[in-house]
Order: sequence, then structure tokens, then C-alpha cells
Amino acid sequence: MYQVTAVAELPGHDDRAWAAAWNPSRPILSSCSADKSVRLYSYSSTSDGTLKFNHVSTIPTGHTKTVRSIAWSPSGKTLATGSFDSNIGIWEQEDIGEDELGAGEWECMTILEGHETECKSVAYSSTGTLLASCSRDKTVWVWEVHPDADFECLGVLMEHTQDVKCVAWHPSEEILASGSYDDTIKLYVDDPTEDWYCFATLTGHASTVWSLAWSPKGSYLASASDDKKVRIWKRADNYRWESVLAISAHDRTIYSVSWSVGRPKSGDGSLGWLATAGGDGSVKVWELTEPAEVEGISKNAPPEHRLIATLPSAHGVHDVNTVSWCPRGGMEDVLATTGDDGVTRIWKIVPE
Amino acid sequence: MAFSGALTLTDLNDFITPSQACIKPVEQTNKPTEEKGAGAAVTEIRVDESGYYEVSQAGISNGSTNKGRKLEQAQISLNDCLACSGCITSAESVLITLQSHTEVLSVLSNDVDERIPIISIAPQSLASLAAAYSPQPRSASSTNERTSITDEILTPREVFHRVRRFCTSILGFAYVFDTNFARHLALKEHVKEFIERQQEAQQKELTNGDSVPHPTITGALPLPMLASACPGWICYAEKAHSEMLPFIARTKSPQQVMGTLVKQWIGKKLGKRPDEIYHVSVMPCYDKKLEASRQDFYDDVFKTRDVDCVVTTGELELMMKEFGWDLNTGTLSPVQPTDGPSLSIPVKKNTPINLPGVSIPELLNHPGTSSGSYLHAILRHFMSTSPVPLTLSVKAVRNAADHEEYILRETPIENGNTSSKIVFKGIKCYGFRNLQNVVRKVGRERGVRVESGAAGRLGSAGGAGAGRGVRKIRAVRKGRGAEDSPSAGGEDEDRRFDYVEVMACPGGCVNGGGQLKPPAMPNSAALGDIDAEGYKRDWDGEGVAPSVGAKWGDRDWTKKVEEVYWRDAKNVDEDLVADQLVDEVLEELCAGDDAERKRLLRTEYRAVESDVIGLAVKW
Repeated sequence: MYQVTAVAELPGHDDRAWAAAWNPSRPILSSCSADKSVRLYSYSSTSDGTLKFNHVSTIPTGHTKTVRSIAWSPSGKTLATGSFDSNIGIWEQEDIGEDELGAGEWECMTILEGHETECKSVAYSSTGTLLASCSRDKTVWVWEVHPDADFECLGVLMEHTQDVKCVAWHPSEEILASGSYDDTIKLYVDDPTEDWYCFATLTGHASTVWSLAWSPKGSYLASASDDKKVRIWKRADNYRWESVLAISAHDRTIYSVSWSVGRPKSGDGSLGWLATAGGDGSVKVWELTEPAEVEGISKNAPPEHRLIATLPSAHGVHDVNTVSWCPRGGMEDVLATTGDDGVTRIWKIVPE
Repeated sequence: MAFSGALTLTDLNDFITPSQACIKPVEQTNKPTEEKGAGAAVTEIRVDESGYYEVSQAGISNGSTNKGRKLEQAQISLNDCLACSGCITSAESVLITLQSHTEVLSVLSNDVDERIPIISIAPQSLASLAAAYSPQPRSASSTNERTSITDEILTPREVFHRVRRFCTSILGFAYVFDTNFARHLALKEHVKEFIERQQEAQQKELTNGDSVPHPTITGALPLPMLASACPGWICYAEKAHSEMLPFIARTKSPQQVMGTLVKQWIGKKLGKRPDEIYHVSVMPCYDKKLEASRQDFYDDVFKTRDVDCVVTTGELELMMKEFGWDLNTGTLSPVQPTDGPSLSIPVKKNTPINLPGVSIPELLNHPGTSSGSYLHAILRHFMSTSPVPLTLSVKAVRNAADHEEYILRETPIENGNTSSKIVFKGIKCYGFRNLQNVVRKVGRERGVRVESGAAGRLGSAGGAGAGRGVRKIRAVRKGRGAEDSPSAGGEDEDRRFDYVEVMACPGGCVNGGGQLKPPAMPNSAALGDIDAEGYKRDWDGEGVAPSVGAKWGDRDWTKKVEEVYWRDAKNVDEDLVADQLVDEVLEELCAGDDAERKRLLRTEYRAVESDVIGLAVKW
């Protein structure tokens, strides 16, 4: 039905490439690596409609260990890096030249310290006022973003019993999700009169939860696990989420999941496209649709899912560490992957 | 990200197993090697109830009865834990049980042990007991076994008297004190230290402007001064934020001042050496056990600690229960406790009679916070010594009682100068989360690098963080230049802090880890926990138990203990009496010798550097 076609190959990291993040407001893609650097690329459409990527800048970061995770603020002006040196770096450009697009010097505005051990993931909330991070120290931290690159710690959530692998914010509400080596997913909200707290623990995976992705409208949450399954959780009530679907998606650990609106053939009841990737080296794209409303079908009927495209060996023999849909309008069918080969690759999903 | 050989080639530590953090090395004693018999080169480890044995293969095949050489057990002591930064608290909390109430009972029941037993009780522990044994608001549901049948409201003072009876008549303690007088002494020293630091800072400002976090000729350390009474905070700072250590007050905590008072001052009165006294303290906090175990509080000459054993509020309650002591009546319960061991430990400690009476003021009141009023002691000092009247304003940050700013201003003179110069700015900051912000703020304001975790450790190992390469934070951003000179105009909000009362627990010491848990009260009658016929709803069975309820319950409980803490605060100002006694004590102990006073009442901190470097440890 669909084909995953190669758009660009972006080598340059000296060690495995861990993650890639698309700037939400400007045509910039960033990647981070065990070589402790962040690479920035600008991109544009050529006259024949193909995408062209240019390496514009490399941030050496100064992290003393692997940069494991990167996240853009919604404004697209600030970049956060989460490193195995336990710290989070906050990066900005002094002057943003309209035509330079990410080129030039990126300055470390501040360092967020507090994690005892490796920081595994960082994420900005949808409004950009909150930043979350998680670590092998089993904690999830919530920071409030203040002017002048100042940050205030709003919460240290010690709910997981093991290494926390990922954090992900709801696309519109201030709900935070975290996935852990303890096989669970935890959901948190702010108690207006007090602190952040965990309001739900989602159990079901039989092994580490490596990655989380909210559906574009936020009524579903997808989780990727070492148990080779992707689970879909549905919002049954304001603060209740239920497992409605488990897809045996890959032959080995699934390290990454990403959810976009996609380019479905029919918009009716579409929940968008879900991309998964992991230790088996393949990238898969799933189309999800709301369950048909039939009399007698329970409220928690699973969404319908359909594998619409498969790309084997996306990075040769190497693991795929991250898969990430481009969030920009008109590019909903473009995704980036990073692999143990140190390369970032860009792919487009095209109808066959 | 495969589990491949590549794992050893990078700094990836992404795969873990539990409790990997303990790095206590197994020490080699290098005993002279024994003559090895034939075939002894191959040995096995054999395990039975009595221990581990190294047995030669020959021994096994011969079926000989030779049990082999008994192997020493690897042991981790509290001191090993304190010296290690492998983990922050987990192993410690396990080892802490070594300082337990059973240890106290075994000393007390040991007839050979002739030490004079003295016990000191923290006021927060008394408040916790008083709250738990007072009738609960929802007395209809008397699921609370502690609740008295009478509706008597217990005060900490009454609890103290009842506990004192228990400790003397049942356990055989010679003296029972509260720690408030020691706190009085500690607060005075705390204020003294603050003044020293402030004078030093003012001196520096006159000469070169900014203060540097290093001791100078006068030896005074920089501002802001951070409170030092919370052992959880000290432990965390030593392990994760060594850059904060110069700011932490050197004054000992009330527990350790009490230790000095008991072993030195009271010891002298009794004609006893420090090692002839067994000093137990009752604290709201597990980490106080760690504090008492610090090397700084060990007397090398007499081989004894200022506080020999620390038990928590919960452990004190347990002892009372085990002995059938009814705190509701302050007498032995007529009915023996049904559960637990019956009085199998008859404490027959032959307490020496004719000991002199030692009188110190009882339950001195220190208005301010239930965590010791450290900030308020300094506020009071300013209010009472300022040549011009001062006005105090208090602002809760983000509506949280655990994070409040206290600002003292010169009261503007009416119709005249409207200036309201800030004289002092302090923060009260409780809980781990607020503590993070204080660490960040102090680091930012005072230009010291916040360093924690692996980065800090690597940084300091590699030479003052030079290897980090992360560009220095732009310290002063546009429009915030006022920060640098506290006396500049527009100082109000940007003035740097002078003092922070730091406590690791949310809610402070009344919510310490060693306090009694909230009585098992039904979640909330309003929620319909109990049906019309008085049956408790089975939340588990119905699967909709609101987990939020527990959270609220705990917070309400802390509020209740806080309220009880202040319940019988006497209006009588006993400060004069206490002050006099402080003078007396100091005269007797150090006779006006400043250095000796500091030796007795102050302590030191040291950064605990980790030898764990990610690259060296694989898991």
C-alpha cells in the first residue's frame, strides 16, 4: 500500500546516534549522539519537490558523557539535551538570523543538575512552560521554565522502582507520562494546591517500556516495550487510562514509537500513523482508526490497526534507536530515524 | 543499542540491576598464607547455618569432617556508608536499624553495664505522640486503638511527663530530658555564627565588593548561612552538592549539643566520665542516627559518642507498647498486650540511687517554626538589636507553606524618608523539591558552580570542573545587574538571601521519617466509606479506591501534628532563666574561652567524593 522511500542520509556522528528531534517551527532537524555532540541540519524543498538537508552546525555540548536525548521547546528557539553525565543542557542562539537557520554559535544558557545518575530523556510540555526529565536514578523531574534561562524545580517524582527510560507530555494538557525498566507507565498531573503527583500506573507490558507517544489529539497513548509489543492505552475517563490494544509489532525490542496525523487515504475516524522501530532494525508504519460505532460494542473497543508499510534494515545491521515524525504541516509523511551506525536517515511514506 | 560487546566500548550504562550502587570494597587482610596441602589449590566455598567455609577439594573427596577455614563475612558498617557516595540513602536506611530500640533494651537490661542511662526527647516526637493519642476528630469510628476513652486533649507537655514516668520507672533511665534547652543553646550559637558571617561579608563588601566562598583570615564563612540541623540535608549536601558546604552553619544540631551537655556538663555534675554515661535520644527522624554516628561526635579519648543511640518516635511508642505502658493514662496497662512478646525483658537495671538532681528548663518554647525556629532566632536577633524599628513581611512562594520568604525592612518614617531598606532576607525551605531550588538559587547568586551527580564528580576529579567544557552560564543577564550589588537601588526583589532554614522533609521535622504514621482512619466519611449500617466499604474489592486519599491523609496528619506541637506553648517567657543557665553552662564548660566554645558547639562537613566513575563500573 505504502512504501518507505529514502530521502536523505546524514552521517557525521562518530558514535551511535541516539535521537533526532524536528524543530516544530523552523525547518531544522537536530540529532544527538554518544559522541557528546548535537548536529543541526536545515532543510528545504527543491523545485521538484524533494527535500534537501544541509548540515549547518555542530554543538560540541561539553557534556562529559553521551547525549542521550534532545527536545525542542514549542517556540523552536530553545533546545534541551539530556546526558548520561546526569545533566540537562539548555541551548539557545544569541541572534536568530532568518536565513541562517540554526547556523552559527549555540550557547549553553544553563545546566539543570539534580539527577544523581544518567538522564535518559527530556521533553517540553505543549505550551513550553514545563520541562520534564527522567533518569536511571528512578526519578522524574518537572521544571518550570522562567525568563532568563532560569528554571524552578516543581516536582521530583519518585514513583518508579527502576530506571526511567522516557518522558512524554500530553499534546494539549499538562499531563506527563513516564516509562520505566520496572515495566510500568506512570501518569502525573499537578495538584494546584500542592505538588505534582502520580495519578495512574499503567501495567501490562512484560518488560521495559522504552518509549511513549501520545496520539495527536491526546485521547490515546502508545507505548513501546522490550516485550516486542506496542500497547495502545485509551482515555476511559479524565484520569483513567485503559489498555485497549497490544500489537506484537517487532521481532526484537522496540526502542521507539512516534505518532503523527499522517496522510490517511480517508480522514474518517483516523487516529493517524504510528511508526515503530527497534532492535530488529526495521521501521514499521501502522494506520490506526477509531473503532466503528456499532451497537453493542463496548466503550473500550480497541482502535483498528493496519500495518501499512515496513522498511527492513533501515540502518543496515544496526539497531534503530529513534523514529520521529516531522511535526510540520505538509510533511506529515516524513520521518527521521537514528541508528547505532551514527547516521540519521530521513524517510518518506509514499503510496505504492 | 544491542546487548553487544559495544557495551564495554562506550559510556553506556543503560542496563541495570537493582542495588548495584554499593561499592564497599572487600578488603584484603593479607594474612600469612597457610601451608597448603596437596590438592588444596582447588577449593570450594561451603555454606551452612553458621557461616561460609573455604574447603579444599581434597577435604571434600576424603569426606573428612574438616569443616575447612571459616571465611570472614563481608560487613558494611554505618561508617562505611557515611564515607561512600555509592548511594544516597537506601543502604543507610537498612543499616540504621543497628541503632534500634532493641539495642537500647539490651544495654538497659545488661547488669554488667554500669553506665548511667540518660534519655533526651525531641519536642517533635512529643507532638507526634500527643497527636496520635489525642481523640481523633471522627471519634465515632473508634478504629484507632490509641484513642483514649476519655476526651482528654493531650499536650506535648503531658506526654512528656507520662513518657518520663515510663522511662524512669519501667526502663530505669536515671534522667529524662527534652532537647529544647539544648536547642536554646544551639540557637544562640547559631545566631552568633550568623553575625560572624555577616560582619565578614560587610567587611569584604567594603574592600572588594563580592564575597568569595572561602574562609578568610578571620575564619568566618560566607553568606547566605544555611541551617545545619537537618541530617538529611547535610548528608545530601556532602554527597551531591559539596559547593554548598561553606554556606552550611557549623553550629551543631540540638541533638549533638544535647550530647555535649549530657556527656560533658551533666557528666561533670554527676562526677562521671563521658564513657560512664549511656545517652539515648528520641528523634522524629531516622537520619539523626546517621548524625549521631558521625566521626565528629566521637570522643577519641573516652571512646564514646555524644549520643550513644538514637531511637525514633515510632520506636519509643513500640517500647511503650511492648511493656504495656498506656500513654492514655500514663500507667501500666491493667491488661497485658495480647500481641507481641510479653514482658520478656525485665529491665532490672540497678540505677544508682542518690544521684544529684539536674534541673534544666522544661520544654522551652521557641516561637517560629516547629522545625526549630532557626530563621526566627535570627529574625528576633535583628528585631531586638536594630537601632531603628523593623518591619517583617512574609511571602509564601507559590502558595506553599514549605517555601516562604521573610524580609526585614527598616520601617519607613512617616512623612519623611520613605526608604524601606532591606536589612535581612531569609527563606524557610522544606522538602527535597524546594531544596533543589535553594541550591540552584544560592549557586546562581553567589557564583558557585552547582555540581552534582556524575558530572560534578568527574569535574572535581578532573580539576575543578575545567574539563567540563560547558560554557559558563552567563552569570548576570541583561537588566539583572542589580543582583551584584545588594546596596544598589531597586534592591528589593533582587537582594540576595542572607539565611535559609533548610529541612529535607516536606512540612519540616513534625513530618520526619521517624514519626508515628497517621492513625488508621477510614478514608473519609464524606466519601461514603462507611455505609448507613456502619459497615466499612471494601475499596479493594470494588477496585476503585482513590489513591489520592492517602496523600491527603498524610498531609492533614502533618498539619495536625504541627498544631499539637504548639498546643501548650507557655506564654511565660522563660528565656531569661534559660539564658542565665546557658551562661552558667558555658562558664562551667569553657570559662569564656572562645575557641573552646566553638570546639564544643560547632562541627565540620566534608565532601564525600565518589570513586564511582561510570567508566569503571559496569552493570
